[in-house]
Amino acid sequence: MLIMNEKEVAESKAVEDKVILKVQNLKKHFDMTKGLIKKTTSKVRAVDGLNFQVYEGETLGIVGESGCGKSTTGQLILGLLDATEGHIYFRDQDIAGMSQQELRKARRDLQVIFQDPYSSLNPRMTVEEIIGEPLVVHGLAKGKSLRQEVVNLMKLVGLGEHQLKRYPHEFSGGQRQRIGIARALALKPKVIVCDEAVSALDVSIQAQILNLLKKLQRELGLTYIFIAHGLPAVRHISNRIGVMYLGRMVELAGRDEIFERPLHPYTHALLDSVPIPDPRFRKEHLLIEGEIPNPSNPPSGCHFHPRCPYATDLCKQKDPAYEEILPNHFVACHYPLLNKNTNVLPS
Amino acid sequence: MAEKLMDIKDLKVRFKTEDGFISTVNGVTFNMNEGETLAIVGESGSGKSVTSLALMGILPPNGEVYEGEMSFRDKNLRTLSKKDYRALRGNEISMIFQEPMTALNPVFTVGYQLRETLIVHFKMTKQQANIRGIQMLELVGIPDAEKAMGRFPHQLSGGMRQRVMIAMALSCNPRLLIADEPTTALDVTIQAQILTLMRNLKEKSNTSIMIITHDLGVVAELADRVIVMYAGEVVEEAPIYELFENPLHPYTKGLMASIPKVHDVVDDLYSIEGTVPNPANMPSGCKFHPRCPLADIECTKIHPALEYVNEGHAKRCIKV
Repeated sequence: MLIMNEKEVAESKAVEDKVILKVQNLKKHFDMTKGLIKKTTSKVRAVDGLNFQVYEGETLGIVGESGCGKSTTGQLILGLLDATEGHIYFRDQDIAGMSQQELRKARRDLQVIFQDPYSSLNPRMTVEEIIGEPLVVHGLAKGKSLRQEVVNLMKLVGLGEHQLKRYPHEFSGGQRQRIGIARALALKPKVIVCDEAVSALDVSIQAQILNLLKKLQRELGLTYIFIAHGLPAVRHISNRIGVMYLGRMVELAGRDEIFERPLHPYTHALLDSVPIPDPRFRKEHLLIEGEIPNPSNPPSGCHFHPRCPYATDLCKQKDPAYEEILPNHFVACHYPLLNKNTNVLPS
Repeated sequence: MAEKLMDIKDLKVRFKTEDGFISTVNGVTFNMNEGETLAIVGESGSGKSVTSLALMGILPPNGEVYEGEMSFRDKNLRTLSKKDYRALRGNEISMIFQEPMTALNPVFTVGYQLRETLIVHFKMTKQQANIRGIQMLELVGIPDAEKAMGRFPHQLSGGMRQRVMIAMALSCNPRLLIADEPTTALDVTIQAQILTLMRNLKEKSNTSIMIITHDLGVVAELADRVIVMYAGEVVEEAPIYELFENPLHPYTKGLMASIPKVHDVVDDLYSIEGTVPNPANMPSGCKFHPRCPLADIECTKIHPALEYVNEGHAKRCIKV
């Protein structure tokens, strides 16, 4: 027994060692102000108490509909927004409490790829300047070695040396996204937040970028936090998927587990809504009544209760705890769908 | 055999730019039957939206149809007067767009805009129009329809606005509803609501629907027949089940293989190399040849015709 325990301790420690990012009770409330003196009239709880871990080398997908707080979560992790409460541990440092100077250092390890490759690249800079800028800002390279480094990065993402002196407008959407990826890789980050990184791209281009992201992850051992509303792409690239609703994580599990056995009624309906590109699998969708409530005035108790077919008085009154109710399967629901067949995939 | 609703033959549309004319629709041919739901699939620049704008007679001022035939029932659309076109657009063809906010007037209430359509097209009284307006909102699943009539578009959510758009589009009992990316801007649970609504409308009324989309999931949910467009041309046409079971054109196959599927996860997606060609600089021969895995020297020279291989299934390729 004692030996077993020691082994268990060792195993749990091994897992613990692999955690690269740990989010604890993270909150971000935005003040809504009114009038000249900016009197605070209400608070939008964009992120309202998140807890999750990200393991080194994995892709954690975060999905949810407009206003669920997924993009705010990404910006908090990047230190682009100050947290109202809570912690974000990158290895052992808490990003949430860092000064601007410390943040600058941490950002070398935490990079971002944005949705819109049109607005996120400076139109007056050449590709060489755009990709090289992070290296110059951090004083890591100059002159010939800078040029060489930029060329290497361009090759890594499938661009050619002959394109060094070109401007963003000379590239297609997919190529611009490659430029954005090269810039994100310049500082050899450990974690990359992909915020709707393929959402604006045409389907044939989306496949190229998803394949590139996977290839880079294999070659460079990157960790991705892949934030998107497009569920098929998230399912394709992620190892685990977390579902957010009105600022809270309602469920988090392995990418197959969550589609085959969603436990939260919202997850179940959300995943069931995805149209399957095969007419043989036409079906009636589980429809959720109503719309997502205003995050400045979220419902009491479980935020999902007004739209939930299983809600009771308990759900109106008490906020459900977010717990690991099956191995590696977290859910925040008073009545998880444990004894139901909730598989949303066609068989 | 269902009756023919609309016929487009060898349609060509060009735009005047600083560098001369650029042709974005290069000989599109297809037809639609009464009661049918036809999907037009393609990526940006395929000409799918321009085709529908040409059909509606609402091309931007620098665009023109310069060749081909378009007829709707017994009307020749190419010779239709502006006045007759306007009547046709209200009474027989209506359209819904991706972003309803751009199509709804922000300074008038939902009720005003719904009533206006009915008063103009059916010469209804305000009261009659009001009753009919409320019925239309109920039909598209808007709760508390009477109250909703008094709302301004900005007071509604994206899903509700799209419902209002659909209600307006259907209020004149059109023969044909053109829906250009109707769910692309919506969240997935709201998309499911709108798709279910459209499916119900399709079953209840005899309105034909032309759905323009890049999303093969939406196509699979709704369409009876599909047209795949690439670089301003139809490259494949087939009934829905036939297309998904037996796609022929390498572009269609590539498109199907390159989308991530929740029910079939692969390590790496198939990807179509390169990008959509610039309309000002189209490749010779088959327009898909620079990106095609099957292309050879012949494909760079011969521009393939759209050929029927069996009942209703056509492809524009000499290699398959």
